[in-house]
Amino acid sequence: MLKKSELTLAVTSIGIIGGFISMFLMNDYESIFSTYAGLTFSRTQQMFALLAIGLTLLAVLMGYVYYKEEDEHTADYYGLILFSLTGALCLIGFSNMFMFFLGLEILSIPIYVLVGIQKGNSLASEASVKYFFTGSFATAIMLFGIALIYGSTGSFDLNEIRMAIDMGMSHSPMLNIGVLMMMAAFMFKVGAVPFHFWGPDVYQGSSNAVMAYMASVVKLAALFAFVHLFNFTFNQLTPFVSGLVLFAIIVSLFLGYISALKQTSFRRMMAYSSIANTGFALFAVLNQQFGEASLWIFMIGYACSTVALVTINMIVEKDTDELTNWKGIGYSNPLIGITLVISLLSMSGIPPFTGFFGKYLLLSSAFANYLPFVVLAIIASLIGAYLYLRLMVLSLSREGEGQKIKMTAIQALVLVLCLAGVLGGWLVLLIK
Amino acid sequence: MNFDPANYVLILNPAEVFPLGLTFKMGYDGLALVMVLLTNAVISIILLANWNRNISSNARFTGLVLLMQCALLGLFTSLDGILFYTFWELTLIPIFLILYWFGKQDNNRALFKFFLYTLLGSLMMLLSFIGLAYFSPNFSYFQLVQANFDGKAVEAAMIMGGILFAFAVKIPLFPFHTWQAPTYTNAPMAGTMLLSALMLKMALYGMIKWMIPIGFEGLVYLKWPVITLGGIGIVYGAIIAMKQKDLKTLFAYASISHLGLIAAGIMLFTVSAIEASMVQIINHSIVAVALFLCAGIIEDRLNTRNIDDLGGIAKVAPHFGFWFAVMTFISVSVPFTAGFIGEFVLIKELFTAHWVIGITAASTLVFGAVYMLRAYQGSMFGPTKVTVFKDLTWNEYAVFGILTVAAVGFGLYPQIIIDFIKPSIKFTQELMAGDLTFTK
Repeated sequence: MLKKSELTLAVTSIGIIGGFISMFLMNDYESIFSTYAGLTFSRTQQMFALLAIGLTLLAVLMGYVYYKEEDEHTADYYGLILFSLTGALCLIGFSNMFMFFLGLEILSIPIYVLVGIQKGNSLASEASVKYFFTGSFATAIMLFGIALIYGSTGSFDLNEIRMAIDMGMSHSPMLNIGVLMMMAAFMFKVGAVPFHFWGPDVYQGSSNAVMAYMASVVKLAALFAFVHLFNFTFNQLTPFVSGLVLFAIIVSLFLGYISALKQTSFRRMMAYSSIANTGFALFAVLNQQFGEASLWIFMIGYACSTVALVTINMIVEKDTDELTNWKGIGYSNPLIGITLVISLLSMSGIPPFTGFFGKYLLLSSAFANYLPFVVLAIIASLIGAYLYLRLMVLSLSREGEGQKIKMTAIQALVLVLCLAGVLGGWLVLLIK
Repeated sequence: MNFDPANYVLILNPAEVFPLGLTFKMGYDGLALVMVLLTNAVISIILLANWNRNISSNARFTGLVLLMQCALLGLFTSLDGILFYTFWELTLIPIFLILYWFGKQDNNRALFKFFLYTLLGSLMMLLSFIGLAYFSPNFSYFQLVQANFDGKAVEAAMIMGGILFAFAVKIPLFPFHTWQAPTYTNAPMAGTMLLSALMLKMALYGMIKWMIPIGFEGLVYLKWPVITLGGIGIVYGAIIAMKQKDLKTLFAYASISHLGLIAAGIMLFTVSAIEASMVQIINHSIVAVALFLCAGIIEDRLNTRNIDDLGGIAKVAPHFGFWFAVMTFISVSVPFTAGFIGEFVLIKELFTAHWVIGITAASTLVFGAVYMLRAYQGSMFGPTKVTVFKDLTWNEYAVFGILTVAAVGFGLYPQIIIDFIKPSIKFTQELMAGDLTFTK
């Protein structure tokens, strides 16, 4: 007889895999909603949706070890994560500001709960409250921005907004303020400087699985919406936006990596490293032509490495998530060692791993127009390489010889899947 | 075997161009074939040299060496810019792990310096490749060589400069050499051999095959600066080497001196200078393996490499004394060794370019003899401080024998190398000049 938690895991996994397959087989999603044009999936959006579903599967599998202890509440976790995934899919497929806002909220609200789900943990409660208040504030600003855009263009539909801007609205102060407010809220959601303060605390307070989910799926959906909106709808405003985005990129990169160097807690380090990686990803906003495709490649590399590292943290975590737990783990366990080395190398941008191709695509498109910023980004990525290298050296230390590491089969499966993503994600470039 | 060094043997040649301008072309000409053979030979010799050591029975070590070989062979046979970059970076991973796992335990500082310095160089090379994408339709080697800069020599020089930075760190040229000595001294013997005999050659090969043909329009700006740095390196490395007490550090600085000469010669980019450089590259691989093996043997038996603590080893271990002497002579380029041919032609070519650099380069002959003979005399003769020294084992005899045969063989008949190099260089030069439309 299956335990309740096992049954929930099985049902959830089957559901997610089914969703993945049907999304994969769908050639023309638009026809399904023939009377409502708010949700459409182009080829690119379909790719992002597939990635989001796949990453959710990883988070669900990861969470099992954690939540099976509380047999009664396992289903809460899976249910909330599935709701959140729905929001992410809305956020990926939106073609209407209404659907966009709906998606954003469905994505965020379950996360507020998930962060605080460990009721006994005071850090978790703190994180949850902090995230909820700042997040709601960001949402309010976003809503205000949408209202201003609606006021100046007269529509919620992305195509109509775009047409209105094309017809000479681009200098309207109301529109510009609206776009600025949306941008601020977006920066909050993706966790870019100067709206990054919630990141480290929330990451530290949440459980490993939720943290992995936030760093992968939530970030992916928010970044995609950001890029999609600013490249497609507000593309006339690029000159106005680009200065601010470039500022955010450079400050995120340096602040993220330099702060990460000082951390002793794994999760805080990952939070700062995720701020820096967001900086890289924001280059996609400036790239009209291939922004979305580059973002996809970058995100599969980044998300898979992050999930792999968080899984490893879950395996080695004792009472705290201090980095000293990592000493020698890669030397004593080959699977962990290989996954860890490849993930970290991919994050540092070393070929032939996916992270390299992502960074390459993002930087090469920015090369012609923003050369100084590309050089700065490369210098920052050197700091990042030092950060990841330090972790690699720590975990490959020979002192770990003979150390026993307990790992469940599901965790090993997650590691293998992540490894496949990091190694082979870029091959998608070849078939497109 | 029907191999025409003037033409390319394409191992992998997909017809289509993939996104990003990736072409996945791989193949070799005479130049690349020489490097491929050198790699395979040197890897085997390194494994042979480590036969009796604990390290060789370690699965991780052997695996990493094989990964290294894979990366090097990929590098020498890649005919695509991104592929070249990929393999270039891939070599970093095995050497890093070899240095970390099998080197001295407290070597993290040197290790980080080595890794980050090299990575910085690689990133500059990446920037150059990104920039190249604006001048060439894809990253195929043949397209890159024919890249049209429309007389924009400054742009070409900047692109070349980025690539040069990566190579200069690895060679290392004079102001970029600070990582080398600490890395060498902390590394295990096999790691030093790999670094010195193979990884540095990647950079020299890259200069001949990639950097100069691609950015040829910009060569006017970089030719003399690099030759000057090479010249400074020749003298600087030699002078520092004369004052060293640690054998490995001494050989490391000697290597800066030797490689400065080769790098300066390559920048001339005349056919005979390239031929001589290639002979010298092979010679340096032989010398590097030989000398670091000698240092390794001494360190193994006595736990020290300091010349002050050594002395009189030749009396206790006459066979080792003899072979160390042979290796010393090979490294100071006495006639009938490959180094003689290489250094002589290089000096002659540099002299033709300018007499000042010619004289500077020629000083390597004198300086080389000074530091090498000092090292030999200090450790092998002099007051007897060493009383117990196990003489050579069979595998060490074998390594010394093979190396001597190779050095003398190439010294007597260097034509065997030149036959491979010359047609390749001519072909590349024609390709650069656009005399032939080669679109394979």
